[in-house]
Amino acid sequence: MSEKIIQEANERAAKYFSRRHFLQDCITGLGATALGSLLGGCNIFSGPGNGAMPQSLNPLEPRAPHFPARAKSVIYLHMAGAPSQLELFDYKPELQKLHNQLCPPSILEGKKFAFIRGVPKMLGPQAVFAQHGESRAWVSDHLPHFSKMVDDVSFLKAVQTDQFNHGPAQLFMHTGSARLGRPSIGSWVTYGLGSENSNLPGFVVLTSGGKTPDAGKSVWGSGFLPSVYQGVQCRSKGDPVLFLTDPEGMDRDMRYQSIHAINEVNKLEYERFQDPEILSRISQYELAYKMQISVPGVMDIADEPEYIHQLYGTQPGKEAFANNCLLARKLVEKGVRFVQLFDWGWDAHGTGEDLSIDYGLRNKAREIDKPISALLMDLKQRGLLDETLVVWGGEFGRTPMQENRDGKEMPYLGRDHHVEAFTMWMAGAGIKKGGSWGETDEIGFAAVKGKVAVHDIHATMLQQLGFDHEKLTYQFQGRPFRLTDVEGHVIHEILG
Amino acid sequence: MMILLQGNWSLFIGRFHPLLVHLPIGMLIIAFILEVMSKNRRLTVLSAAVLPVLVFGALSAIAACIAGLLLSSSGGYDEAALDLHMWMGIGVAVISVLLCVFRRYALFRKAWLPISFVMIVLLSAAGHFGGNLTHGEDYLTAEFPLGKGAAAGATTAIANLNEAKVYDQLVRPILEQKCYSCHNEAKLKGGLRLDGMDHIRKGGENGPVIKDSVPEASELYKRLILSEADDKRMPPKGKPQLTPQQLEILYWWIEQGASPDATVKDLHHTPRMQLVLEGMQPSGGSDVHPFMPQEEVSEASPQDIGALEKIGVKVMPVANENGFVMVSAVNASGFGNKEAALLLPLKKQIVWLKLSNTQTGDSALKVISQLPELTRLYLENTPVTDEGLVHLANCKQLKYLNLVGTKVTDKGILLLQKNAALKELFLYKTAVTPAALSQLRKAVPEMAIDTGGYRMPALITDTLVYRKQKL
Repeated sequence: MSEKIIQEANERAAKYFSRRHFLQDCITGLGATALGSLLGGCNIFSGPGNGAMPQSLNPLEPRAPHFPARAKSVIYLHMAGAPSQLELFDYKPELQKLHNQLCPPSILEGKKFAFIRGVPKMLGPQAVFAQHGESRAWVSDHLPHFSKMVDDVSFLKAVQTDQFNHGPAQLFMHTGSARLGRPSIGSWVTYGLGSENSNLPGFVVLTSGGKTPDAGKSVWGSGFLPSVYQGVQCRSKGDPVLFLTDPEGMDRDMRYQSIHAINEVNKLEYERFQDPEILSRISQYELAYKMQISVPGVMDIADEPEYIHQLYGTQPGKEAFANNCLLARKLVEKGVRFVQLFDWGWDAHGTGEDLSIDYGLRNKAREIDKPISALLMDLKQRGLLDETLVVWGGEFGRTPMQENRDGKEMPYLGRDHHVEAFTMWMAGAGIKKGGSWGETDEIGFAAVKGKVAVHDIHATMLQQLGFDHEKLTYQFQGRPFRLTDVEGHVIHEILG
Repeated sequence: MMILLQGNWSLFIGRFHPLLVHLPIGMLIIAFILEVMSKNRRLTVLSAAVLPVLVFGALSAIAACIAGLLLSSSGGYDEAALDLHMWMGIGVAVISVLLCVFRRYALFRKAWLPISFVMIVLLSAAGHFGGNLTHGEDYLTAEFPLGKGAAAGATTAIANLNEAKVYDQLVRPILEQKCYSCHNEAKLKGGLRLDGMDHIRKGGENGPVIKDSVPEASELYKRLILSEADDKRMPPKGKPQLTPQQLEILYWWIEQGASPDATVKDLHHTPRMQLVLEGMQPSGGSDVHPFMPQEEVSEASPQDIGALEKIGVKVMPVANENGFVMVSAVNASGFGNKEAALLLPLKKQIVWLKLSNTQTGDSALKVISQLPELTRLYLENTPVTDEGLVHLANCKQLKYLNLVGTKVTDKGILLLQKNAALKELFLYKTAVTPAALSQLRKAVPEMAIDTGGYRMPALITDTLVYRKQKL
């Protein structure tokens, strides 16, 4: 047994010290030495890089942002599949007048759609709108409870993206790039701020709606950041985290001893190879051990009083968006930095009853209406809303035209994917109360004022967390990377 | 030719005026500079260059004059100022042509320089008045940082916003800036004067422009939000438009009854207007963090921080290169009265203290009251009582206090009146009575008190599942 382990270690060491590595070390080593002496006192190659975080042995140690933050935590409610802004927030009476008429060709010129072919018909708003609150915000009757909360949120009515398929658009919305490989917002945030609670992950993901997002787990991945910053997905049904109980015959003490021993070995490994992934491993072992105690308390919603369950409309034991909202509040209360919720089922093409504007969307809206309103109320009454940034939105919007997949009539009313204008909202943590920014044209097709790009949303979120989005960088492949790439403007119009 | 210049052509060409006008300005100034330089004995050769430049300048001046005349026919300018600008412009063109002739035929050699000088003065004046016509008279000086022009600048800072007169200090400057030029005693477009409350009330040739409390039905507001292509749109296309804030102010003023002498605090603040008002507060930008002290502080010693971290309390700097810290006991549920003493060495640094769900009691509050910079204090679900709140009166900077789920009562929270800085108070799940709340609210109206316990009405749609009816 022990022979085998020693052999394994030797092989591993050999892998690291191959001829190729030796040569590489010689070249870079000599080169760097020469360059260092050439540059004399110039110190640019030593010390922490641009915005790089000092490396302590615990990668989740709390760290300071660039400037004092307004938000300490984020709850991101992502409606995967893209909800229709035209049935929820963006009221377009002119579109009603054009209902069932053929779409003017001038609108379609040069545009590409995911499924619409030829000349589709216009589809008027399939909901009754009214203005609510003192901010006179338009909300449809699909969200009767949320319409009472509009004075706490700021709407972004003209968000734009450049991806019209779910996967890339979700990646773009959550990692700032439509292609794989970039860290998600939650990873950037935990990389930047660490975790306040050392017994819980800094970045937790909860899903509902029966499916994970089309983009897969990369939407909460850590990309090129050390994997310790990736989102920890908790199961939405049954035990939130598996194998929290000690296996038979293993008591807690023994568990501690074995994890301690493994970590000691790993620390030696780290000293030798300086691979940050080893640190990830160490901290994950430690965290897992601590979570055995902390998770059952936090992730169990059963001990919440009955009226809280009524407020959220939770369904204990089932996979439900409402349960996830309540969990999100509990996690934020415990100092978790970033709670990411995904709710699948908003892709109302009209291909089936559940995925239709006339039925499915109303049911989805009803499913989230109480939970999101309850979440805002609950955060408010606990004094948490002014330090918790709540973000709601999909990956894109939906067309003012009725979908005519393959040029045929659809069994139900539907709208196609739409990238040019859709609605998102933010609340809490220094976001204006009762604000609204951006406008779309008379039929809700194009943004005409206050256009907001995905990178702008990221820049704003980072700003509220205390970061200059241009300075939160990570050195990778020879250049510093940021969440907002080379773009992004903070949306000051919705900041209070 | 005349046919060409009729209708749209005249305005089309007219609009080239601002483009063309810079050519004579540049050319004639160069001609003048060359003229001056050629007086130098070593540079007499430059004299030969003056005429070609001058000819080009004169031609462009004539072109600019023609375009200017066509543009002026579109109307909408203050006539006195327009006349001045026009005659000065024509003067420049005439003088430049004369100079060309004199130079070409070598007449009045001695007068070349003085005439050039007069031309340049006239050119500058014409340019200045032209600028005034387009941008408004105060455009040039409005932002002069030392003048009172900057402070009076329409919707920028007003020293005491609450006491400001809505019409005099908010509405009138907007009208002055954007409307007076056409709706004044002299011009009276549409029979409407806006320079004075009586004139506004009187309305124009189509009747009153304000329907009390209904901005949507008042011409004074309605016309401002028409599409820019609309003929009735005000200010007309091409003129300086109202900013969204200015629109909101007019809307609000009319909605609240278009009173001639109400002050800002007299009128009801709608949330939209509140945002505009906040934007007008001097120095009320989002750059100022609401919970951070303005001064700086040195960093806490690592030993003192270490002592807290040893018992599981997290000490987090608020920002890079900032000595202030946030302290969280989220992993130290055992934190109590004994451990509170460990906070004292960091008393200059602690601004944010989270002791939720710990054993923090009344005697710990006595220690906490010695943290002079503390702005946010979280005491949810701790055993603190009214007796502990007595000590908090010392926390002069305290802006946020969370007492959710504690045993505090009316007696305790009424003590908080002394905390002048306290802006947010959370009392969800406490035994505080409505009577005490209204007493506290009356004493400190600017304190936001949240007692929670929110409920949602049960709606029939809450449980409804929409399905297509099967036939």
